[in-house]
Amino acid sequence: MPHLTDLFRTARLLLRDRHEAEDLIQDTYLEAWKSFHRFELGTNCRAWLFKIMFHRLHHARRRLAKASRVIAIDDPDVHEEPAAETVVAQEISDEDVLNALEKVAVEFREIVLLADVEEFSYKEIAETLRIPLGTVMSRLSRGRKLLRQELAAVARSYGIDPCAKRADAAETA
Amino acid sequence: MSNLSFDSTRCELMRQYLDSYLSNELLVETASEVVRHLESCESCSRDLESRMRVRDALQRAVVNRPVPESVRADVLRSLRESQPRSFMRPSTTRWAIGLASIAFILLSLFAANWTSLRRREQLVASILKLGVSDHIVCAIKGHSYPEVANSPDQIRNKLGVRYGVLLQVVQERLPGFEVLEGHICSIPGSDRKYVHFITHGRGTILSVILTERNGAALPTDKLLLRADSGSLGIYRDHLSGMEIAGFESGQYFAFVVSDLNQKELLQLALGLAPALNETLHTTARLLPPNATTQLAKHG
Repeated sequence: MPHLTDLFRTARLLLRDRHEAEDLIQDTYLEAWKSFHRFELGTNCRAWLFKIMFHRLHHARRRLAKASRVIAIDDPDVHEEPAAETVVAQEISDEDVLNALEKVAVEFREIVLLADVEEFSYKEIAETLRIPLGTVMSRLSRGRKLLRQELAAVARSYGIDPCAKRADAAETA
Repeated sequence: MSNLSFDSTRCELMRQYLDSYLSNELLVETASEVVRHLESCESCSRDLESRMRVRDALQRAVVNRPVPESVRADVLRSLRESQPRSFMRPSTTRWAIGLASIAFILLSLFAANWTSLRRREQLVASILKLGVSDHIVCAIKGHSYPEVANSPDQIRNKLGVRYGVLLQVVQERLPGFEVLEGHICSIPGSDRKYVHFITHGRGTILSVILTERNGAALPTDKLLLRADSGSLGIYRDHLSGMEIAGFESGQYFAFVVSDLNQKELLQLALGLAPALNETLHTTARLLPPNATTQLAKHG
């Protein structure tokens, strides 16, 4: 089953529950073989599978929207803090990074994962999520900024002052 | 770099580009504008570095998280056990699902192979782009070479013992080209260091560039050309208006970049690659291991 690892790890980070992620992957492959006649040979199979997965994910999310914590993604008050000067110190583990990512609202998290981990182009992300290219760019920018802010908070919880580290680095240089 | 050139309006504009710069989504002209700004603005350069560190940490954390072995089997079992949701009669469903599953797996394997080929091409392009970027930023836009060639001693002093020995190889193996400059440089916003020879000949500028592989590797199959009796694979591409030929040598990637035509550049690369490869391997054997970090200490 091609690309299962990529799909599963993305699903796992968006749904936070292994069994839900497995169900989503199962639905994705089931949908894929049912609609394989629509797949154009020569196009990107990986992007096509991600597109199916996100379609099913968003469909399920819409049904649960009322019960979920919804963040107004275009609410400027939430996002207009200045970007933190974040360093990823050695003290910050992979688990810390993933925990910080989980705190980023899912609408931003999914784009950060698609762009920075799966390395899809903006155009592929826009097609996968069925949103305009401009929305991809603005959500990615905000998602990355939110992640930097979360990591800065993690660094502070370890007693690391990101700004001080920056100043030290600048002096050393 | 200097803070003296700090211009908050300019910085604000450039920082709007940083996300797209990081994703390699900017047009070449805009990317060059960003690079020029980063060269003179320490604050924005630090901001980009910070963003790159966060992205790298995220990639590492996600990829390092293991995917349980049982997931694949669980999903396959679930697929087999799935109840039909279609218009088909129950008696035909099992056969239909079985045949469709086989067809899907075969076709998706074909598609996966195609995707794998495409990703390999993208990988080659991204590695070759390292050389093109340094040639454009340092030699072409930065014009980091003198009109009259620096003396061999000056160049060797700039390169140090490990890379100074390569000067003779570059000079001898590029007929019709004169080495104007040799130094170790980097591109703003990146920690990567390049050993860079800038040469002039045939009415144009040609760069020979080395950079450490840092664990990355070019694919071992489907090489475009082979030099040195088949033991050295050379890749080529046309990127950002430049012809580039690249190969892997020990712990380095080596590139020959210019706006010459494809045939001319490949001939030069094929002539240079074996000697450069041999010298790099000899140097690696002769110099003690602690000297291998020399590239990282420069710049």
